[in-house]
Amino acid sequence: MMQDVKINSYQFLILVIFFTVGTSILTVPSALAADAKQDAWIAAIIGTGIGLLVIWLFITIALWFPHLTYIQINEKVFGKWVGKTFSVLFVLMSFLYTSQLLYYRGSYLNIHALPSTPMVVLNILMVGIVVMGVRLGLETIARSAEILIVVFFVLLLILVVFISPEIKFENIQPVFEMGTKKIVQSSLFYFITSSVNAVILLMIFPSFINKMKQVKKSFLIGNLIGGIVIIIITFLSVAVLGPENTARQSYPSYELAKRINVGDFVQRIEGLMAALWIIALYFKTVLYFYASVLGMAQILNLKDYRPLTFPLGMIAVVLSLVVYPNVIYQQNWDSTTGNSLSLSIGLFSPLLLVVVYAIRKKQLKKET
Amino acid sequence: MLKSIGILLIAATILWIEVPPLLEKKLKKELLVFAILLAIGVGISMTLGFGKSIPNPLDLLTFVFKPLNDVISLLLK
Repeated sequence: MMQDVKINSYQFLILVIFFTVGTSILTVPSALAADAKQDAWIAAIIGTGIGLLVIWLFITIALWFPHLTYIQINEKVFGKWVGKTFSVLFVLMSFLYTSQLLYYRGSYLNIHALPSTPMVVLNILMVGIVVMGVRLGLETIARSAEILIVVFFVLLLILVVFISPEIKFENIQPVFEMGTKKIVQSSLFYFITSSVNAVILLMIFPSFINKMKQVKKSFLIGNLIGGIVIIIITFLSVAVLGPENTARQSYPSYELAKRINVGDFVQRIEGLMAALWIIALYFKTVLYFYASVLGMAQILNLKDYRPLTFPLGMIAVVLSLVVYPNVIYQQNWDSTTGNSLSLSIGLFSPLLLVVVYAIRKKQLKKET
Repeated sequence: MLKSIGILLIAATILWIEVPPLLEKKLKKELLVFAILLAIGVGISMTLGFGKSIPNPLDLLTFVFKPLNDVISLLLK
């Protein structure tokens, strides 16, 4: 029941784009501008470049075992118990990130759109559709992503075209003032959120994809397109709002949409633009949740993951209310422990896997 | 009180949707995992509903990752 799902490489490409853009579009411009000032857009370019290397690592690992998910790869390479330990950490991380994304969206809506609605209501509504999506399966998620990507890019185009008259090039001058070292350092947060966390996509790549040949490309291209979107948004935020203002905003791209004013007629379309972030955040949440539910089912050797969705959704709502007591805590945690957590599970443990695989290669080949 | 009734209603709905197909297919292990997770879910949401605070898992992670955090912030200086 679990293995008969297949999506094609184009649908996977779209899921990767949504995953890369996801939270980054909201929070990354301010995180980059805090350190790299007016060179934030260069930092975004470098971050995308490093991110592509990380994605290449994931693809290499995945293509050694074309029919297994990440959980099963862990178990095969590390052996039963050590592998399960790594998998449990992986599942806990993706589940924690599910509830964090719920918090992101809840607090975003709470601050900007629905101030007197309690956050728990917003989170329950979101979890409702997330659980629904996961229960209907990966194919349904992929097909709805195929439809909504059009809406996403149309809205993005409107945003870019309408904001472009406001660009002031004085804001990004002097270019490269901060120096290479500072720029590379500040790109850390960005490539962690959009590329290192993409380790959870190894749950659907490549075992749930039907054509193996193009899929390698679509993972890289998806990450690249997502990266370009982030570069554009970062460039616009810095060029329109100025580096200090961008760093001070918690959602700079929303502030960007507020500035749209074409001939004193097209104004205040930020509510429409919010759809952009809700769509991207939704798919990122669904992918995290799918990875954690499917991962848990595979660790416990269950035949079907669907029974776990409702209880885990319930726990996710509670966690989303608990994980961040306030926004200060959130920003502090994201820039310190969040990085360490993602790096250890998304980068160090795959690297360890590569080393162990290199040592045990012959033995593993004999078994299969 | 209202909150806890609401939580119990949600839990009852979940049970009503999920349990009959599991019993029909005789998936005992799935049923066990489902029951444990649902119990945890109801438990922590009840605790939160009565206004008690739940320990934050992120604080534990901060404690665990403290050395790595220090290394990263050293590298970034």
